Amino acid sequence: MTSRRKTLALLGSVALVGAVGVAACGSDDKSSDTNGGDTATTAQGGGSGSETRFMSDDAKKGGTYRIATPDLGFTGGFDPSAEYLGWAWGLQQMLLNRGLVGYRHVGGTAGTEPMADLAEELPEGENDNTVWTFKIRKGVKWSPPLNREVTSKDIVYAFERMATPSVGAQYANYVQPIKGFKEMADGKAKTISGIETPDDHTITFTLTEPTPDFLFRLAMPATAPIPPEVGKCHTKAGEYGRYVLGTGPYMIKGADKLNISSCATQKPIAGFNPTDGITFVRNPNYDASLDDPEQRSAMPDSIDISVNTNEKDVFDKIQAGELEEAAGLSVPPDVARKYTTDDSLKDRFRSNPEDSTNYLTMNLTTPPFDDIHVRKAANFIVDKTALQRAWGGKLYGDVTGHTIPPVLLDGDNSIDPYATEGSAGDLAKAQEEMKQSAYDTDKDGMCDAGPCKGVLYLNRNYGAYAKLGPIVIDNFAKIGIQLDAKELPTGPAYETLQTVKNQVPLASNARWGKDYPDATTFAVLFDGRNIIPTGNTNYSLVGITPDQAKKLGVTLPKDGVPSVDADMDKCRKTGGEERIACWKEFDTKVMTEVVPWVPYMNALHTNLLGPAVTQWDFDQDSGESSLAHVAVDPGLQK
Amino acid sequence: MLFIILLVVVAIFAPVLASLIGHGPNELFNRTMLDDFGLPLGPNSEFWFGADASGRDVLVRMIYGTRVSLAVGLLATLFAVGLGVALGLVAGYLGGIVDTVLSRIAEIILSLPILLFAIGIVTACGASKEGCARGAIKPGLMLVVLISAFFTWPWMFRIVRGVVLQLREREFVDAARAIGAGPTSIMFREILPNLISPIIVYASLMIPQAVLFEAYLSFLGLGVPDTTPSWGRMIADGSQIYDVAWWLMLFPGIILLLTVLAFNLLGDGLRDALDPKSDR
Repeated sequence: MTSRRKTLALLGSVALVGAVGVAACGSDDKSSDTNGGDTATTAQGGGSGSETRFMSDDAKKGGTYRIATPDLGFTGGFDPSAEYLGWAWGLQQMLLNRGLVGYRHVGGTAGTEPMADLAEELPEGENDNTVWTFKIRKGVKWSPPLNREVTSKDIVYAFERMATPSVGAQYANYVQPIKGFKEMADGKAKTISGIETPDDHTITFTLTEPTPDFLFRLAMPATAPIPPEVGKCHTKAGEYGRYVLGTGPYMIKGADKLNISSCATQKPIAGFNPTDGITFVRNPNYDASLDDPEQRSAMPDSIDISVNTNEKDVFDKIQAGELEEAAGLSVPPDVARKYTTDDSLKDRFRSNPEDSTNYLTMNLTTPPFDDIHVRKAANFIVDKTALQRAWGGKLYGDVTGHTIPPVLLDGDNSIDPYATEGSAGDLAKAQEEMKQSAYDTDKDGMCDAGPCKGVLYLNRNYGAYAKLGPIVIDNFAKIGIQLDAKELPTGPAYETLQTVKNQVPLASNARWGKDYPDATTFAVLFDGRNIIPTGNTNYSLVGITPDQAKKLGVTLPKDGVPSVDADMDKCRKTGGEERIACWKEFDTKVMTEVVPWVPYMNALHTNLLGPAVTQWDFDQDSGESSLAHVAVDPGLQK
Repeated sequence: MLFIILLVVVAIFAPVLASLIGHGPNELFNRTMLDDFGLPLGPNSEFWFGADASGRDVLVRMIYGTRVSLAVGLLATLFAVGLGVALGLVAGYLGGIVDTVLSRIAEIILSLPILLFAIGIVTACGASKEGCARGAIKPGLMLVVLISAFFTWPWMFRIVRGVVLQLREREFVDAARAIGAGPTSIMFREILPNLISPIIVYASLMIPQAVLFEAYLSFLGLGVPDTTPSWGRMIADGSQIYDVAWWLMLFPGIILLLTVLAFNLLGDGLRDALDPKSDR
């Protein structure tokens, strides 16, 4: 999923249950990590153990933490079963509802370690990671008006919702290894046979294949409990989002007024209006002694998120103390310049790795990018530093040369087969590659065959994306590829790119962020089995077979396209250091033998903190502010 | 008039001027004219009007933008005048049902909120890879020209029709009819030459409207692509960071203002010179 209103918001289309595997969120970003950022602002104040913590000496409980966003942008109506927006995940995990597995909700590697949340402790996988048994904490209660204890049945119901097609679960593919899940999703069973509940506080998952990263998957908010009393009344996609109850430190304002005596009496909770905003207030049934303070500080009495479409107004208000921060917006570079060059303000500008990759995607089936030498030449010629500067410079991203963000490779950012001095591109190296291509007919290092002219280049038409266009067009022209730029709004751009039959040759409108801290959430982008006619996220069509091509109306190059399906399957079965090493090998192979992208930057998430913020941290999991650990001083608010 | 001639010269010799300056319209100077935050640097001895957000020379892009503005202004006016004059002649001379139908069509078009409608059309045609009407209409300069012409021809139509209604009753028309001239001959050989003055006057006033129209659409991101410099788009791009890069809006804004003013003054002058009934 993603983090900054990800691109993702639009990506909402991604696949889903039933289909072979697919999905994942597309996003603009999703995040994580900490390494990487020589530019990342490090914590000030210290004392929390988090390397990304901002903390003053007088952080106290109380007050209202005010956030503005241009658009809530929920992709699944805030229904935990369906929602696929990274920021929404953060709200659900940190504030609203507790799952079996959680995170510390801090930045850096500490924020990517799974921890027991609703579970008493994290189990070891049994039988080659195919059986996982959890004990549920006793005494954890649902918020008003439900007021009862959470049981294993509530968790089972959450999984059954994901297996209910009408709910529109967008990442159910991650739990498909559970025995019987697919049968229920296909309508062949009424329950999931692979989930057992011997008692109200025990739940066992039996999987059909070794899944070493299953704990990560159980940290995704769709797997957190849902009360059947309320959920069963709302099985249309996104509908439950207006009725969400939880077990976390906060509840949606007005949740206690929800009349759950019958489905007919339930009216949307007053504190959430998709066009105006959402307000969280304290959940009176939350018992902090049954939670881990490392995971949630829960300092403010309430958190108010309002919609404000005027970006300049939002940042003006933050600076004036009328807001604490923004969501779904990157800090404008001019504001970043002002803050980072003023010693009295610099602590209030935060920049943290999102664990996402920005890239140009090349279609392996479309001339001239059906020739690997052209794709390699593209990697040599692109001025990555210029692209980085288009996003705002070093505070907005770290230049990269490979597909998987470093944090998912144990911090390794050394894979860079097409490194150039200053990451500025190298014409000589690019032309050497181009000379080996059939599209360079006179072998002068310039693409000169017919398909080199008028090559469709898809991009978004606003913000930093629009600034990428001139650079990309200029760079490709240096090796003879004349691009015909097509700039579209975010939604149509995604729809165009995700429709396979369009065979878009080159695009820079997409980004990708992790779904959880494992490289498999990037590998899905190159899985040939995931290629679907629309909503496709394997934009390069890596691994497409002749049969698929025929069905999808795609013209294949005569030598076909390379596949890495077997390589990713091998990695998925491994664990520990072996898994990391396997993914590094995979990434290297992708960049040297397939070359579907020109990866150029691992994005950094920027935040601007208002003067009343007394504590703040970054949530590496969602790639957004950690609302679990913020605090505000009402006396400093305006 | 002098200013308009200057604009035409600049438009024609844009490549020559750019080569004298030493910068291309899409040439990137992102190493020297953008700071570490990707923000553009202002006017200096090499970049008289500063750089834009991509590190391109604002002066050179303004020079090339003259081409777009004049092309849109002249082409849209040409199409609108052609259509408006032809239909105005027919409606005014033939009268009856033909006049009624054409007049109602013109009134319907004039009643449409032009900018809103144009935005709708351009957005619809620009929202997909193929354009719209099965690819027949694609976003770009020509679409802007056609939309502008579509919405402005009724003005010329009404003026021409009104004048023709008066002229068709004149003796020289009766004389032509008496010697056996057909309707087409009368319309184009007898009446049309008498319409030249009002056509020239109103055409000169339609040009600045078309120039502004292109600027509006480009400002909204619906006009020409970024690689084709346009004053409207330059102003739009500059508006996002106007408080830290004032030059991005100021210089294109001034040249747009002066251009529209110049054409309006030209139109006024022509009307004074060619319309015998106007106050001198």
